[in-house]
Amino acid sequence: MSKVVEISPTTRHEGHSKLVLKVNDQGIIERGDWLSITPVRGVEKLAIGKTYEQVPKIASRVCGICPIAHTLAATEAMEASMGVEIPDDAYLLRIILQAANRLHSHALHDILALPDMYIPGTDTKINPFTPEEPVRSVAKRIQTLRMIGQTIGEIVGGEAVHPSNPRVGGMYKNITPRAQAKIFDLAKQAIPLARAQMEFMIAVFENYGKRDWAEMCGREVAIPKDFGFHQQGYMAADPMYGSSSLDEHPTWDPARWLEVRPWDWYMGEEEITMDDPAYPVGGTTKAGKKAWPQMQACTGVPLYDGQPVEVGPRARMSIFKNYDRKGAIGLNIAREMEYMDSVYKMIEAADALNTSGSTVADVIPQGDGTIGWAANEAPRGCDVHLAKVRNGKVEWFSMLVPTTWNFPTCSRALTGAPWELAEVIVRAYDPCVSCATHMIVLDENNKLVAQKLLE
Amino acid sequence: MEYLGQYKAVYKAKSGCEDILAKSQDGGIVTSMFAYALETGIIDGAIVAGPGSEPYKPEPMIATTVEELFEARGTKYSISPNLALIKEATRSYGLDKIGIVGTPCQIQAVRKGQLYPIGLRDVPDKIALAIGIFCMENFPYQGLFQMVEDHCATKIDNVTKMDIGKGKFSVYTERGVNSQIPLKVTHKYEQPGCHVCLDYVSNMADISTGSVGTPDGWSTVFVRSAAGEAAFNKAVEAGWIIAESMDGVKPGLELVEKLATEKITKNQAYLEHRLHKDHPALKPLRNPYI
Repeated sequence: MSKVVEISPTTRHEGHSKLVLKVNDQGIIERGDWLSITPVRGVEKLAIGKTYEQVPKIASRVCGICPIAHTLAATEAMEASMGVEIPDDAYLLRIILQAANRLHSHALHDILALPDMYIPGTDTKINPFTPEEPVRSVAKRIQTLRMIGQTIGEIVGGEAVHPSNPRVGGMYKNITPRAQAKIFDLAKQAIPLARAQMEFMIAVFENYGKRDWAEMCGREVAIPKDFGFHQQGYMAADPMYGSSSLDEHPTWDPARWLEVRPWDWYMGEEEITMDDPAYPVGGTTKAGKKAWPQMQACTGVPLYDGQPVEVGPRARMSIFKNYDRKGAIGLNIAREMEYMDSVYKMIEAADALNTSGSTVADVIPQGDGTIGWAANEAPRGCDVHLAKVRNGKVEWFSMLVPTTWNFPTCSRALTGAPWELAEVIVRAYDPCVSCATHMIVLDENNKLVAQKLLE
Repeated sequence: MEYLGQYKAVYKAKSGCEDILAKSQDGGIVTSMFAYALETGIIDGAIVAGPGSEPYKPEPMIATTVEELFEARGTKYSISPNLALIKEATRSYGLDKIGIVGTPCQIQAVRKGQLYPIGLRDVPDKIALAIGIFCMENFPYQGLFQMVEDHCATKIDNVTKMDIGKGKFSVYTERGVNSQIPLKVTHKYEQPGCHVCLDYVSNMADISTGSVGTPDGWSTVFVRSAAGEAAFNKAVEAGWIIAESMDGVKPGLELVEKLATEKITKNQAYLEHRLHKDHPALKPLRNPYI
């Protein structure tokens, strides 16, 4: 007889989400539903009727961790709809911005993932905030890497959080040679740090993958060998930057995308039949309460070729670099392996940049209502924005953000894992939940009334 | 000396560089200080009032070399919104140590921005040297244009220097035709915002300077902060600035204090007036200092 356990909210990631898990008598998950319960932002509806300059700025406000990805994806979706081709130097500046964002975001994830992990060779979990070595120097290194990512983002983007410099048609300003030199210096400072950080984190994750058990709720929980495995496919547009409908060979296809409602995807109403007060922090939801995933989930469920797919570091590595490690540990290691790429990409792009080149397109057509899309490889995966612009005004706007793609995929990856370790699998996806939230319309009896409106 | 703010030292000073003095307003202190600071790495760029698209309409610019700095010599009596560039300086210009020159109100804004960096993320720790200038009041460009073109009957394009001193507004031209008008005439062109200002000598700056109190060709310099003192003393040692004691200098600090008192008491009276105590029907206006 399976039992239902709810972990709400999940912790150590961006946003607000919960896990509803059906587990067997051994505590192994038979079906897991991971869903967003962040209040809706409504950005897609706010965008309608705004000018194409306003919408990327509004879209970036959906979240503060990867606003750069949202700004770039939304800006390029507008450009794709209007048919704007940006100058090379603007493109190079955007690549630097993208790499800076990835560097800081991956470093941030390390801090969030470390408390689940063990110091190799011991049974001591890592507390990233302890003043003791070796952890203190790792924490300092993470903060230095984040500082470098944020500072470069500031120089190129005007602002590290919600960059002001990208605009439809390119970038508002080019940078000065002094700023270019500063980017070189910072990136070169990052190279040895990023390499050491990557090697440390891979050692820590490999160590966890080899362990038989992990301590949770005061007991030893067995780690299965197929921890976090799933059979879904991968989706990625580019190893570093992205793709758009203006490309000669676009690497994302809107015809293969279908979105279904959570109502058709998640579990129906369930009574919670098991709880554990020892679960950090403050225990799981008390038995006897109700959970209703299909009603409470605030995301759409996007499918690619009719199936949920995984996006993110492993998807990029699998598609473009033949990476084949499965499971939660494989995903974490793939993320660490992206460190060096993001640093070298900044140096390459800064090298190629002409600081006196023009960064704004000569001609900016005002749009004729064609649908345009842009896929940006955000730190957490492929962030696709779609837009229709007519006469300078946005008629329709949609965001298919990385964690929306990962919600159903990760839910499947939970099957077969002990419920106590479900959050470790969730964290491997580095979830960023707030942008994954879409609009749901309820009537006074909490009934879903406007499913069609959302499509 | 309550209206002169806190200061570590006060000097009669002028630039040690003939090139700077050739086109400077008085002692060329701001240009010399920034040139020295740029050369020695105290700052790596300075936000100054550069030449704009129209004559005597300054536009803020970031000078990262002494040559660029020289383009900004001399006083422009219309305001240059230097603070508009303070964030951009740390962004696409990539500066880590910024020098900024400004009127007392602008220096107050710099300090307030350092205390409450709203919209100025990562800027406060990058301000290395803030030089303030003495300021009685300022003119909007249209007002200045009218003073020069109509009252002084001079084409503004021909003007080589403008000066306020000894109760007169003077305009000098290339052709040698100079005109002067009494300051009384200029009052109606002042910016209304200047009438609530209670700061004459940039009390919040690292170094503040102006022509009042010292003979022609010299400037009065207040050294206020530790950073300002270190930079100023080094500039004097290196010969960029010639500094002498204020003792016995005529008209000296008495005049500075007299003008500061004049400005501040006048503006305090205006602040009182703005409260409209005698006219309950009128809306009281806020004292921006509270």
